[in-house]
Amino acid sequence: MSAHVSRRTFLRVGSAAGGGLLLSFGWRPSALEAAQAGTPAAASLQPSGFVRLDPDGTVTIWSKNPDMGQGVKTALPMILAEEMDADWSRVRAIDAELDRSKFGGQGSGGSDSMRAEWDLYRNAGATIREMLADTAAEAWGVTRTECRTERSRVVHATTGRSIEYGPLAARAAARPVPQKAAWKPASAFTLLGTRVAGVDNPAIVTGRPLYGIDVRVPGMKYAAVAKCPVFGGRPAVVDDSAALRVPGVRQVARIPGHENPTFLQPGVAVVADSTWAAFKGRDALRIQWDEGPFRDETSASLSDQFARLARGEGTTVRAVGDVDAALAGASRVVEAYYEFPFLSHATLEPHNCTADVRDGHCYITGPLQMQGSGALVVSEVTGIPRENVHIQVTRLGGGFGRRLLSDYAAEAAVVSKAIGAPVQVIGTREDDMRHDYYRPAGARALRAGLDANGRIVAWDCHLVNLSRNAYRRGTSPAWSTETYGMVTGLSENLAPDFELDLVPWHIPHVRLRFSEPRSGVATGAWRAPAHVANAFAVETLLDEIAVSAGRNPVDLRLELLGPSSALRITGDDPTPYNPERMVAVLRLAAERGGFGQRPPEGRARGLAAHYTFGSYCAQVVELSVGPQASGAVGAPRRVTIHRVTCALDCGIVVNRSGVEAQAQGGIIDGLGHAFFGEITIDRGGAVEGNFDRYRLIRNREAPAAIDVHVVPSTMRPTGFGEIAVPVIAPAVANAVAALTGDRIRRTPFVRAGYTLR
Amino acid sequence: MPSISLSVNGRTHALELDPEMPLLWALRDSLGLVGTKFGCGGGFCGACTVHVDGAATRACMLPVGKAAGRAITTIEGLGAGAGGYDQVRAGAEGSEPGSHPVQRAWVELDVAQCGYCQAGQIMTAAALLARTPNPSDEEIAAGMNGNLCRCGTYMRIREAVRRAASMATSSAPGEGR
Ligand code: FES
Ligand code: FES
Repeated sequence: MSAHVSRRTFLRVGSAAGGGLLLSFGWRPSALEAAQAGTPAAASLQPSGFVRLDPDGTVTIWSKNPDMGQGVKTALPMILAEEMDADWSRVRAIDAELDRSKFGGQGSGGSDSMRAEWDLYRNAGATIREMLADTAAEAWGVTRTECRTERSRVVHATTGRSIEYGPLAARAAARPVPQKAAWKPASAFTLLGTRVAGVDNPAIVTGRPLYGIDVRVPGMKYAAVAKCPVFGGRPAVVDDSAALRVPGVRQVARIPGHENPTFLQPGVAVVADSTWAAFKGRDALRIQWDEGPFRDETSASLSDQFARLARGEGTTVRAVGDVDAALAGASRVVEAYYEFPFLSHATLEPHNCTADVRDGHCYITGPLQMQGSGALVVSEVTGIPRENVHIQVTRLGGGFGRRLLSDYAAEAAVVSKAIGAPVQVIGTREDDMRHDYYRPAGARALRAGLDANGRIVAWDCHLVNLSRNAYRRGTSPAWSTETYGMVTGLSENLAPDFELDLVPWHIPHVRLRFSEPRSGVATGAWRAPAHVANAFAVETLLDEIAVSAGRNPVDLRLELLGPSSALRITGDDPTPYNPERMVAVLRLAAERGGFGQRPPEGRARGLAAHYTFGSYCAQVVELSVGPQASGAVGAPRRVTIHRVTCALDCGIVVNRSGVEAQAQGGIIDGLGHAFFGEITIDRGGAVEGNFDRYRLIRNREAPAAIDVHVVPSTMRPTGFGEIAVPVIAPAVANAVAALTGDRIRRTPFVRAGYTLR
Repeated sequence: MPSISLSVNGRTHALELDPEMPLLWALRDSLGLVGTKFGCGGGFCGACTVHVDGAATRACMLPVGKAAGRAITTIEGLGAGAGGYDQVRAGAEGSEPGSHPVQRAWVELDVAQCGYCQAGQIMTAAALLARTPNPSDEEIAAGMNGNLCRCGTYMRIREAVRRAASMATSSAPGEGR
């Protein structure tokens, strides 16, 4: 076996059983990590991915990132196959089991998989391609440069003779790993940028077991867990006599909870022979709750608290110039107050997980997004050493941020340990919705000062928001999860002089203040966290300023974006924020969406743009507003979305089908939550428990057309699972304002007088 | 507990079950047919849609006692021909997609994102096309309106129903149904 280190990745080649070639690859730990581990860097090389070439030409790629609909299980193998020049019809993609001896930190969040894995999968593909070409060239007695590779063959250019990859595998496996394996130029791509159907499609349409909820283990039980309806509460007195009389119920087990509520919450588990019996038994429990300090909390009390805090000083997070003086000297001040509710993730697959604790080990199978931290949490709550926690990830029936946490795996492990048998813990929809970790609610009070020419000279933002960082007992400042840096896009890498997504660029006097309300409600990351609320406030206020100053909203934004030369980039992000890419998507969306041209009679167009996790998106919405949905006083008016034009730049497109699907899906998701999404708090708990009250957008309400235009790029791919979501709501609000003069300053829009047709 | 005779995908099973248990859990927990999904348990989302005597039906709302003696088709049995689920199960890892035009259209147009709702979408679409072989755009959106997709795949769902309708009408009548 030979190893080679290229850039920050390394590759190893060996023989696979049956005469194949096995290439393993991974990240080289940094000198710091190696020093911390106490081993020299070279000795601690842990592969994170594998590819095998069989003698029959089949290519098998183990993909370590869980797929929850963003298509990474298809996209990562595509990158490798492109560089390898493998025939895609002979590539199989397989999920990798978590094994810390083989796989490094696993998970997909913050639209990060593509950013992180691009080098790794390209290097792996290029290396295996070069080894196969070298093997063929040597056998033919020609030089490598006379040969080319295409569709799983090596071809000798002058004679035209060719050989398939498969028969070369065994001999290639015995070669040393080449020191250099050049990447193909983007112009030579034949697979990347095309539309490739998801590798799991055949299994999905035939109903094969794929998801956590489908896991069946011999001898397993089913369990449902009762938790306190008030956030922060716990069971005090439990009477389980009626529950134990339900046919099929076997046992009742207490779940103690953990001091970090994102690890495990206290509850009572009912264990049964079927899911149905577990649900019925759980409903038959009689529990007196210790409701804790937040039993009187309501949505109204939270709103009052937000407004009171917004009137106060708050803590200054960032200040440039003298905002107070600039506002006092402004020709005009535009002010707005925005409020946003809690949102549930409402993954269509409710939370569930299967655990089997035996012989000092814990075997977890379930829909987990972060296997690495999941293993840590399970170890923490069970006391089982982390190396004895084994996690097999299934396909995820939706994520949207909910499955960054692993509380349901911890629950399953604790119950399995208590009953000494494998168990699937499963939530009803009501359990899932009333015990979620919600998009944190909050408000933004904004003031902008304009000079006589309508230029923005002062920008003052007071961010009042629950902090998911504070809730999860994080050590960074509470505001750091509720507003993000622009330069790097990832809060971990913030440069000291970062800008924030609540503060537009090139305004001489700016200030950002923060206040954290007190609340018991559980919070977590929700698709495009913080961006959804922040983009709505900033993008609707910019539109309002432009309209009130008689300026074109596109021109105003271009002025604020400025040239890229005005940016000071620090940190090591290979694709830092570039305002020129934002200018390009703004112009493209405006042009293709007819922004600034006269819309058909009775319709209006609205525009918005945002930068999310390394990618750029602008949208133009064309809509009309109809009469009230019913004759009732205050009934909302019906909005019909005729067309959404979406321009985006996420670097090189790996799978065009996936990018287009995420853009369309993100727009529909963003629309539905903008119009309907709200978890109401009453008596300290969540009111909405199912889709009758927590309305999701339906087929008939989706736009008549969504056009997606992707900016051609040779830049590294960046995330595309989240970028479309924050942009749609402000674009709709701006179009509604253009038509009616009414400025929507809150979500859900149904509470501001508008519903979907 | 009474014995309930359940006919699923052309095969009859005798089950000892609480007749009040929803058909959904009998399929998933007793028969191991996990393709039919649990989304809400209240008739709101359509993830659990199966065919009962040919009609799209929410398995979470139908007590298994009331399903006895009726012809039930699940996603595993759709397009599988007379062999039903056994034929599908016989297929190895990576077996061919279902042969029903709706299933083929769903694969071709890459409809699924997370995929969790799609069994229910497909069963609803198949029943819709059996009733209305050439639906208008409005009939498609209305016919599919009861099935939620949290990932927002509605645009491709509409297109795939159109594609399936054209596939079905261009082949012999009844084929693949
Ligand atoms: S699970 Fe039956 S309709 Fe939702
Ligand atoms: S594809 Fe995820 S819920 Fe429909």
